[in-house]
Amino acid sequence: MNSLETILRQLRRAAARARAASYAVHGLVAAGAWIAAVLVIDRLVPFERRAEVAAIGVPVAAALVVLAWSLRRPSAPLLMALADIRLGLKERLSTAWERRAEAGPMDGALRQDALRHAAGASLVRAFPVRVNRGEASLVAVLTIFALGLALLPNPMDRVLAQRQADRASQARAAKVVTDAQKKVAASDKPNPQVEKILQDTQAKIREAASPRKALESITPAEQQLQRLTDPGTPALNSSAQNLANALSGTAAGRGAAQAISSSPAKGAQAVRDLASQLQTLSPKDREELAKALAKASQQAQNAPMRDSLSKAASSLQSGDTSAAAQSLNDVASQLDSLQAQQNTDQAVASAINGLEAARQELAAQADRDAKGQAANGTAGASASASASAIASGNGNGNGTGNGTGNGTGNGNGNGNGNGNGNGTGTGGGSTGGTGGTGSQGSGTGSGSGASSTERVYVPGQPVPGQSENDPTPLGPGQDVPLSPFSQVIQAYQQAALDATDQSLIPGSERDLVRQYFSQLGEQTQGAR
Amino acid sequence: MIAEEPRIDATKVTELAQALEAELARLIVGQKELVRDTVIALIAGGHVLLEGVPGLGKTVLVRSLGQVLSMSFARVQFTPDLMPADIVGTNVIGETDGRREFRYQAGPLFANLVLADEINRATPKTQSALLEAMQERTVTVGTQTRSLPSPFFVLATQNPIELEGTYPLPEAQLDRFFFKILVPFPSEHDLLEIARRTTGESTPQLEPVADGGAVLAAQRIAREVPIAEHVLAYAARVIAATHPDRSELDSVRRYVRWGASPRGMQTLVLAGKVRALLEGRYNVAFDDLNAVARPALRHRIFLQFEAEADGITTDRLISELLEHTVKEPARD
Repeated sequence: MNSLETILRQLRRAAARARAASYAVHGLVAAGAWIAAVLVIDRLVPFERRAEVAAIGVPVAAALVVLAWSLRRPSAPLLMALADIRLGLKERLSTAWERRAEAGPMDGALRQDALRHAAGASLVRAFPVRVNRGEASLVAVLTIFALGLALLPNPMDRVLAQRQADRASQARAAKVVTDAQKKVAASDKPNPQVEKILQDTQAKIREAASPRKALESITPAEQQLQRLTDPGTPALNSSAQNLANALSGTAAGRGAAQAISSSPAKGAQAVRDLASQLQTLSPKDREELAKALAKASQQAQNAPMRDSLSKAASSLQSGDTSAAAQSLNDVASQLDSLQAQQNTDQAVASAINGLEAARQELAAQADRDAKGQAANGTAGASASASASAIASGNGNGNGTGNGTGNGTGNGNGNGNGNGNGNGTGTGGGSTGGTGGTGSQGSGTGSGSGASSTERVYVPGQPVPGQSENDPTPLGPGQDVPLSPFSQVIQAYQQAALDATDQSLIPGSERDLVRQYFSQLGEQTQGAR
Repeated sequence: MIAEEPRIDATKVTELAQALEAELARLIVGQKELVRDTVIALIAGGHVLLEGVPGLGKTVLVRSLGQVLSMSFARVQFTPDLMPADIVGTNVIGETDGRREFRYQAGPLFANLVLADEINRATPKTQSALLEAMQERTVTVGTQTRSLPSPFFVLATQNPIELEGTYPLPEAQLDRFFFKILVPFPSEHDLLEIARRTTGESTPQLEPVADGGAVLAAQRIAREVPIAEHVLAYAARVIAATHPDRSELDSVRRYVRWGASPRGMQTLVLAGKVRALLEGRYNVAFDDLNAVARPALRHRIFLQFEAEADGITTDRLISELLEHTVKEPARD
């Protein structure tokens, strides 16, 4: 016959098994609910890494279940009492267990009686492994629901794809800028200022919320770079070329001319050499050189260069070679300065090239975003326009599309109308709807009201419902046919953006055009 | 594990009960539950109120019980003119050695087994004379208190239908009865057997099977039966559930005027212990409490008039609250 402790161990094992099954189902319910919740939220808001977040619910639920299973173990009296009730032992086990340390007149008989009856019962039956049907059904429902959510198209996928494309585009643009920075750093004469500007810009591009915002950081960078260049450099360069041309006709200055043509730095060294050799030159060569310097002086557009050349020419003519040598050394210094300036300009040009490449990348992505949103916005707007027409009693119309359009208007006259709009999307484009998610809207209106008076007319374009050949009603004070603004703005924007893409105009000007149409689009939506 | 032999022989109680039941069954046809409940009350040391229409064998049962127990038996037929002194005794003048003096003349209560037949026919004054005897097992006449013989067992009967000229027992006195047992009408089969046994040439003569000492020993043993804490808690929950201000049952809140007293709890547990022994167990089970709940509580739950109007009985309410009272111990 088993002892009470043996019986308790058997009951504990049986209860642990039964509870494990029960808790496992609890865990499945929790995990299923978590996954379903993540998938539902994923359909309401753009949710990246949803698979990871959904998957993490499974080990968390399992851990919680194991924790609860281990913490909520039934006590020995409870196990005994439950076994009594479930096995029909008439409270023998629980009473015997409770009085296991007692030595009352009947306790011995009680224990023997309890053990005898427990031996004849299958203790495992007290805690059968059983799965709650309701919970099992719930698990099945949650699984089907989650599978359905996972397999059906998710409207937020587009938003996420756009975000990813935006980020990839920004990363590419930032890389282009970084490459330009490396190029500047790797050049013979690195320019720390240019490098700093490029580094800041690539960081801003990377951190910007959208390609459009990233674009806004490029123009200021370009302006900063432009400030690093000297506007007098072309004049100085021209003066240097004129000097080279003038010296090329002299025997003494031919070498210097070639050096200047090769590079200002080499030219500066050659001019210094020439200055040191003035005393050794023949009078004829001096005269020839003085004339060439005078000619170059006359052609020089840079004032300091002109003065130095003029002084050098006059000194040489007067036979003052030391003064002439001093003036030529000044010229050499200006050539050095030109070389430095050219280096800077080269770095700036390289940087601007990089920024322009980044701008093109970002602008292309911004245009793609704007086009997608514009399409959505247009569809929404047409749905709302149809509803407005019906409210006026002019007919029926339905609009279906993606996106949300804000269309408002006051119907004129009497009648009933219905307007339906189906769609999902997020607005924010330059010409389309802005923000929000719309789905299945319908409305019925009747009554009278003031007609919409706020319309923008564009000369030369037909009004809605009329062909281009039809006579177009004229607006107040107008002498040419007018078209609604909303009909033409998109075509105008596209044409303008195409033109800016195809033309060699600065990026900042291109931004200006884009911003102009973007603002127009926002105003149009506000008006609607 | 502690392996030990029982220090008292609980089987003697079972044997006593079985002997009593077997001997009574020779005369009492059927009515096994009635006999079992009466034996439980006897072993528990409680008094019994038997209620049933005339002719069901109430008096026969009590008289038979007096025959099978070698104890003094007294029968008092309660009538409206019965006075307290008629049952507790009185002081009478007598002569001793030429001197006159008051001498106490003991009443019929001075017996081990007292049959109070048709107790509700006596006036409340006389009924209340039983109060002290039943509870304290003493009788006070004048200034002197006298102990009643032990064991002392009152079996009262009352008729529920002939209510004219009767005095319903007050709540305080009802509470003194350990059990109120309803005597049911016998089945057709039992009726035939009753006719065969009692209309023949001779009726069975019962033999004594136990004496007062055996009954007292059984009473002591019964009190030793252990009861687990959660079973005791169940009994307390049952008692609490009979009170309209504590019960979660709508029917109790609506129909019950006053619930069972703590004495009801004592009765429930003690009767449960005796029943456990009679069932061959050494511990009280939920089933024991459920089995004795009706006789133990039916006269301790007082219903509203609305219950009477709706045909609600205490037995029905007790069944309902037993069904709804949680047995499983709380998880810790």
